[in-house]
Amino acid sequence: MNGLTLLYNFQSPQTTEGDFRPASYKVIYFFSDQGLIEQSTLRELCKSVPDANYNDLTFLNLEDLRVFALRVSQETESSEVRLMSVLDYNIGLDGSRDRDGFLSILSKFGELLTNVQAKKKGFLGKLFN
Amino acid sequence: MSENDPVRPGEQWFFYWKTSAALWESKIKQFAPSEIIFIPLYWGLHADQGQWDFGQIQPEKDLKRLTSLLTQHGRKFCWLMPLTPAPFLPNGGVPAPTARNLSLSNNGVSLASLDNENKLHKMYSFFDPKIFKAFSSFLDGFGSFVAENKIKAPIWGVQFSYFEKAERVSFFKDSSMVFEQGFSRYLKKSFPDGVQLTQPNEEGKLKEQFFDEVQGLFISMARETLSPFWIGEKMITVLGSGPQETIERSLPSGKSQLKFFKDIFTLYSHNHFFSSVLLNNAEKSQLISTFLPEHFGNEDIEHRYHYQVYPGELDQKFRPFSLVDIFGTDVKLFKENGLLPTLKKALPWTYQVQETLDFSPEGIESGQERVKFFHAAKMDRTRFSQMLKLFLMGQKIVFDKTGLHPDLEKRLQIFFLENNLKLQSIKYLINLQVCELGEGLLICMEGEALKDQPDRKKFWDHIFNFLKIQHPSLVMDDDVFCLWRIRSTAPTELNYLDVRRINLYNPTSYKKQVLVHTQKHFAFLKMIDPLKATAKSTTEGVEVELLPNGKIALDFGHYEERK
Repeated sequence: MNGLTLLYNFQSPQTTEGDFRPASYKVIYFFSDQGLIEQSTLRELCKSVPDANYNDLTFLNLEDLRVFALRVSQETESSEVRLMSVLDYNIGLDGSRDRDGFLSILSKFGELLTNVQAKKKGFLGKLFN
Repeated sequence: MSENDPVRPGEQWFFYWKTSAALWESKIKQFAPSEIIFIPLYWGLHADQGQWDFGQIQPEKDLKRLTSLLTQHGRKFCWLMPLTPAPFLPNGGVPAPTARNLSLSNNGVSLASLDNENKLHKMYSFFDPKIFKAFSSFLDGFGSFVAENKIKAPIWGVQFSYFEKAERVSFFKDSSMVFEQGFSRYLKKSFPDGVQLTQPNEEGKLKEQFFDEVQGLFISMARETLSPFWIGEKMITVLGSGPQETIERSLPSGKSQLKFFKDIFTLYSHNHFFSSVLLNNAEKSQLISTFLPEHFGNEDIEHRYHYQVYPGELDQKFRPFSLVDIFGTDVKLFKENGLLPTLKKALPWTYQVQETLDFSPEGIESGQERVKFFHAAKMDRTRFSQMLKLFLMGQKIVFDKTGLHPDLEKRLQIFFLENNLKLQSIKYLINLQVCELGEGLLICMEGEALKDQPDRKKFWDHIFNFLKIQHPSLVMDDDVFCLWRIRSTAPTELNYLDVRRINLYNPTSYKKQVLVHTQKHFAFLKMIDPLKATAKSTTEGVEVELLPNGKIALDFGHYEERK
């Protein structure tokens, strides 16, 4: 697995009881070239981020979301993870006409985080495996 | 089905805009003469500088010529008029000048779908007043066109939807600013003195109301404008069209065949109509290419559009077979009382969750043999009366009374008295009331008590036995899929009541085993068309081994138990 993409939305949701919850960053889709990552895996890894809601996959701030994204990239041994807001995604999609154009959104927009551990491990892995 | 042709992408649909008008005739000839051809209307294509071009200006839009060719070749056809954005049409079908505001899912993601040629079609909000105006104008134009040219082909209105997280979502749904602006106007109009949304979820309910009203407006306008030819409305879930699927299908790995199978079977078990028109060659290349025509080909399509009706009595042709119909506003309730998990395990894909109850004489007759499970939650008087009438007509009914309205409870007691019905009280884990009238059987229960009951599987097994549901049971992995069909016996099979065929499919990349227990009522007759599969008869039934992408069909004769 090489790169991951996390699509998120910033939201200020209302509970079913009508109460407003604090604004948060919600994971919409999280995927690699191999497809979507299982929700159960994401929930499990989300538990390592304090204050995150692992049922909804929501985070109180962008920094927590970054920590989570990197945690998933470590677990899946991915070298990088791209954080993309739905706003960026929608702008990219608006300009796409076909599959190739659509795929290029996923490599152009958003914030790219590098999983330093994967790089190190990759190097050491070559030596020891 | 013509899976590899973008002009005829499946389900007998003809995409007239995807080929030169010069090729229409040869494409039409490729359809089997007996098949009905469905022509989706790409209404935005016909917009031409403030007027609607049905061939007066450009030959590619000449619907009169198209219909003449169809008639000339003796083909039956009908139009499909989209009532929502259509995921296989550029811009979802709307005219280019009105394609301004992208529709958003409830997660805020723009809706766009990849078609079978990997083109990306974006959906635009039907809450945009410009689209409503254009749609209304198109209906007038098309209505005049068919009337002037005396084209009597029927017109179906179609609402398209996608399937995501086990839910069917209409492409009409939108969370964009255009929807919010429309909602704001709606509030101002509905509450000129202002409205205070103090109650929890009040805004959500009003939004639902607004959504229903606008959608209703599109439907009623189409129905009225095209009334002489209007047949009705269908909801079609387009496989691969959802926002999550667009991402999955664009990735190098694509959406797996197993996931498509899961979607198709879930839709099937909810009696939802679906279409494979978006799937590309690779997606249709494996097991799915044989599975779809086997079960959802010409015959199924024409039944769904009511061009064919199964006669009440079985005949020599195999027809789809299910044992149970489930009626209720919330499927979750049948999961909580344990019915669905038990059915899924013991009798997979032999039940259908029904949104509506077909109370026509044909509908009643064709469903006579199926046991019907009703839930009282949010049940209205009409459904309640229909349920009791079905019992009086000799059908088997199981009624979970949890949440029954007190008025309906009174009516139920009056019904028992008026019909002089003797109620038998039984206690097995929970209290049951059973009454019989001729062939009819009514079991009333409070299913809520089963919610945390560890033995509820045993409870339902007893109920199935009591209802005399006779059918081979299966032991198989969740990722193996099956569908049953039934036919009457041939003169050489006089010993049997009927013949049942199971088609088994393994869409995974692992070897799978299936055990079909024939119980005391079924005899294994033969296997048909094994592909990467073997079957052997045992004392208990049949053992099947399915390799990856393997499939097989098995026939069983159904006989009365000898006493």
